[in-house]
Order: sequence, then structure tokens, then C-alpha cells
Amino acid sequence: MLNADLIIGFSSIALAGVVFVATRDLSRLGGLFVNYTLVVIFILSALMLIKGFVKPQRLSFFDSSDERNNVIIGVIILVVYLILMPLVGFLPASYLFYAIFNLYLAQDRWSWKNILRSVVISAVVVTVFYMVFRFLLAVPLPEGKWFE
Amino acid sequence: MFDAALSGLIHVFQIDNFLSLCGGVFMGIVFGALPGLTATMGLALLIPFTFTMTPAAGLIMLAGIYVGAMYGDAIPAVLINTPGTPAAIATTFDGFPLTQKGMAQHGLVAAAVASSFGSLVANVVLTTAAPPLAEASLKFGPPEYFWLGIFGLTIIATLSSGFIVKGLLGGAVGLILSTVGMSPLGGDVRLTFGYPELQAGIELIVALIGFFCLPEILTSIVGKRQESYTSQKVIPKLSVIWEVIASLFKRPLLMLRSSVIGTVIGFAPGAGGNIASMVSYNEAVRWDKHPEEFGKGTIKGVAASEAANSAMAPGSLIPLLTLGIPGSPPAAVILGALMLHGMRPGVELFSVHASVTYAFIMSLLVAAFLVTIIGCFGSFVYARIINIPARYLAPAIVFMTVLGSYAIRNNILDVWIMLLFGVIGYVSNKLRFHPAPIVLGLILGPFVEEGLVQSILAGKAGGSVFLYMTARPISGVLIAMSVMSALWPIFAKWREKRRSRKAASDRNMEDSHA
Repeated sequence: MLNADLIIGFSSIALAGVVFVATRDLSRLGGLFVNYTLVVIFILSALMLIKGFVKPQRLSFFDSSDERNNVIIGVIILVVYLILMPLVGFLPASYLFYAIFNLYLAQDRWSWKNILRSVVISAVVVTVFYMVFRFLLAVPLPEGKWFE
Repeated sequence: MFDAALSGLIHVFQIDNFLSLCGGVFMGIVFGALPGLTATMGLALLIPFTFTMTPAAGLIMLAGIYVGAMYGDAIPAVLINTPGTPAAIATTFDGFPLTQKGMAQHGLVAAAVASSFGSLVANVVLTTAAPPLAEASLKFGPPEYFWLGIFGLTIIATLSSGFIVKGLLGGAVGLILSTVGMSPLGGDVRLTFGYPELQAGIELIVALIGFFCLPEILTSIVGKRQESYTSQKVIPKLSVIWEVIASLFKRPLLMLRSSVIGTVIGFAPGAGGNIASMVSYNEAVRWDKHPEEFGKGTIKGVAASEAANSAMAPGSLIPLLTLGIPGSPPAAVILGALMLHGMRPGVELFSVHASVTYAFIMSLLVAAFLVTIIGCFGSFVYARIINIPARYLAPAIVFMTVLGSYAIRNNILDVWIMLLFGVIGYVSNKLRFHPAPIVLGLILGPFVEEGLVQSILAGKAGGSVFLYMTARPISGVLIAMSVMSALWPIFAKWREKRRSRKAASDRNMEDSHA
């Protein structure tokens, strides 16, 4: 069981510490609000830590190891998508992401029927939104460094 | 004035103008509903199309887009916990819990009806009392903005269930996040860590998508492998429309209060719909007989937020049309459209161009009715979206959030920030550290900072910072409201304890008599 109050308290102090170090060269006007807010964060974090030691809120982070693995894999799929996007371009990366994420969430993942359905839906959804944003709204989407 | 208003109304119902309005409302709803596209963006993108139209038809279309977008943002807020624009943040607090209970249509209809009502009230104010209110809006100086921001922050007391320090800490973290980028006074570049893209700060919609949308998908769909977003299938019914309308009109005070809050915040230049909706939500919780229902899925919460943010739109046009000061970013774009058509805000607008101006004002009114019709009957279509199996819907939502985050500034860093906030939001939800106060701090930070620093400078020049910040009438009212709002949860708890103690003693008395 995790002590949520201690995690929140220490994380906030760490964040405030990073901000404190990174904002020491600001002008008086630029640093005024940052400094006031940092004081507030330090005080509130200290209160959280006191609560964490005196009357902690304990909770389990994941209900099961399956849930943990599912979330980690889901985040990895997203990270890979974002890494690929500027390299191969928005369109291919999005086709790949949609199809893989869709298959990942499916029960009977690797059946031919499922794969075909994922590919077709991915092609339709991604193409429609790409057309709207790229041509109707003229949003310049990443073309992909590998194809430049 | 009434003759001019009537002639404006006749103008709106001319077939080409009416079609422009319908098209505008429809496009506005689409712009509002897609996270990453905002009313401002929609107006800016479609202004060039108005060049070929008559000034009246062009402005009527823009009015439709503005009003439509103020409702459209509620659709994803209710269905997938993602506000279409920052103004719908408070709509998610009760809208998504309604969807989770299988009552998505209730949320959507409440949003449409409340949006229309808010817009209607603000339009009446715009038509009848614009000049004196515009003068009042000029009395909003730095201290008033500072106290308005502080008043907005007191909503944390309402949002924090349990240990209030946790909520306050979240708010303070949000305030620090709001300082990323160029400082409003002094011009320092802060906390960009070498990324020039961050000089413009953290984009609000990116933070909203990250903190609200992604954690929900990671928790329910990815983590727990829920097969759909809702516990039960949504079956839209015609009776729901009447049920929701009847329920809302049994609460005229809630609707009127929310609309007035939206209108007043709208005519204060710079304060947008996000502040309006949150202040209104806070007040709705505070004055309701059953505050415990909020946050668990009640149409009252959706209505409070939507009436206010939709009232903000006509409200923000009050200083625009009379003084040329836009009350919100979309109003600034409309100012551009007026200028392009050779219309200068001020007296001239209500004399030389009266027919076009009143046609524009009346089109806001008619657009409000169109929103009710489209919103109520559209709910049959939108509500069914949530029935799509999660394995198809979730990738589409994530894809759209990525696209939306990128499209705002054409910047891949924004997408990474969205993902980072998504993971932080997921972790903080697990730690029962709700991200809503963080987002609140992020939204209100610029107001509080600018108001504070400018007040300190002006106060020092005038002799006393304290007097400058507290001794102005509007500041006094805002300070009193902030104190009341912050202490309200303590008072409410005390009142509840007293009631339960009294009930217990009454029961004891009855028992002893028996």
C-alpha cells in the first residue's frame, strides 16, 4: 500500500525545487508571482508531508498486475506513435497507431477478421480526419523526415 | 430601439441570411465539439468567406458560429470527459458522470437548453442595456482582475472532496504551470528549459485534453479493459427532452443566476467563458439544497456551466459593440470582421449601421433557439456515439486528441505535453489528487499574476498598495464574495452537523415521549 500523502508532498517539493533553481535569474517583475506561489507550494507540501506521517492515506496503485501491464503497454504504443510521427509522417504513423491500438484493445486480437477490420477502419477514420484538417482547415501536418 | 430590433429580426429571417445563420450554427457546433478547434479558430478561418457576402449575411454567419461553438464544446465534455474548448471545463464535472450512468442524452439536452437560455438572457441585456454596462466594464482594473482570479480559485474549496490542502496544492501547482513562457510584465522567459515553443506558455486545451481525456481512457478502456464507456447502453428517447426541459425550468433561479454570472464576466474584457463556467458552477453548488449531488452526475451542474459560458458570448460583445473593446478572443475576431466591412464600433454602429448591427444582435438570439433545436434533436445522434465499442472509439478519441493538440499551434511539442499531462493526470487520479484544481490554477494564473503585479506597481506609485487593491468598490465586492465562497464549505459542514444533531435530539425526544 502506498502512502499517497507522502508521494504528493515529496513530488510537489521536488517540482517547487526545480522551479526555484530555474527561476533565480528572473527580473523583479518576472519573478514576483513565481516566488509567492513557490512559498505557497512549500507550505502546502509541508502540510501534506505532516499528514502523510500523522494520518496517512494508504491506497494501492493498480488493482492487478494485468491492469499495470495494460496501462504501460498502452502508454508505450502512444509514445512510439509520437516518435514515429515526425519521422514517417502524420498519415502513415496514424494508420499504424489506430490499427495497432484497435487490435490491442480487441479480445480476439490476432484473427484475420479482426486484423482486416482494424486496417479498414483505421484507413477510413484517419483519412477522413486527415482530409478535413489538411485540406479544409489547411493545418500543415508533419510530412515525415524520412520522405523529405 | 425596439423598431431597430424588429427590423433586425426581419433581416435575419430573410432566406439567405437565415441559411447563413443555420450554416454558421452547424459549423460552430462542429468547431466547438472537436477538441483543438475553438470558436476563435472557426471565426478566424471563416472570415475570408464573408468577404463575398453582404455585411449582414457575413456577420450573421459569424454570430451563428460563435453561439454554436459555445454549445458544441459541451458535447465531448459530456460524452468523453474532454471539454471541446476551455469554456466547457466545468461541464465535465457532472456531464461525464451522467454519461457513465447511461444518461448521456440528459447531459446533452441540459447543455443545449441551458446554453440557449444563457444566450437568450445575455442577448436581452445586450439589446437593452449595452451602453451603461460597457461603461461599467471600464471600471475593471488590475485589482479587480486579481480578485476575480482569486474568487475563481475559491472553487477549489468546492472541488476538493476530503482534505482541502490537497486541492489547494493542486491549485498552486497549476499557478506555477501558468508561469511557463514569457512573463506578462518584465518580458522574462520563464521555465521553457530551452524549448522556444514554450515561450507562448502551455496551451490550455492541451492541458485539458491531457488531464481529463487521456486518464479516463488509460483507466477504464486500457487498464480495466472496459468494453464501453458506459455501464449501460444509451437509448435516446423523446421523453428525455421534455423531462430535462421541465426539470430545468423548475429551477429558474439556477438558470438565471448562471446566465447573469456569464453575462457579467463576459463584459469584463479578457475574462473568458472558462472563468464564467467555473464561477457559475461554484455558485450552483453553494446555493443548492443538495450540494452532495454535484460531481456525481446531475443536470444542474451541466446547466450551471453551460448557461454561463453561453451567456458569456453575447456578454463579451457588449464592450465590443459600444466601445470597441473585445471581451473575449472570439469577440476580437468579430471586431476584425466589423472593421473589414467598414463598421467602426461605437455610436456609429447603432446609428449609421443600425440595421446591420441589430440584425447581428438578433441573429445571436435566433442562433440560441437554433441551438436548442439542433442540440435536443442532435442528442439522438451524439448520445449514440458513446455506444460504439471502446476498442473502436478509444483509438479514434486518442487520435483526435493528438490531432487537436497538434493543430492548435502546429507544434509536436504540444502533443508530447498532452501525453505527459495525461500520464500525470492518470497517476494523480490514482493518488486521489484530482487534476481539476491544477487546471483551475493554470487557467486563472495569468489573471492573478497580471492583476497582482500591475496592482503592486500602480499601488506603489499611488502611495499604498493595500488601499489600491482593496478600497475600490468592485474589488470590495469581489473580496467579500471570495471570503464567503472560501468559507462556505466550512459553514455548510457546520450547518449539516447542527441539522443532524437536531434531528437526533428530536428523535430522542419522540422516543422518550413514546
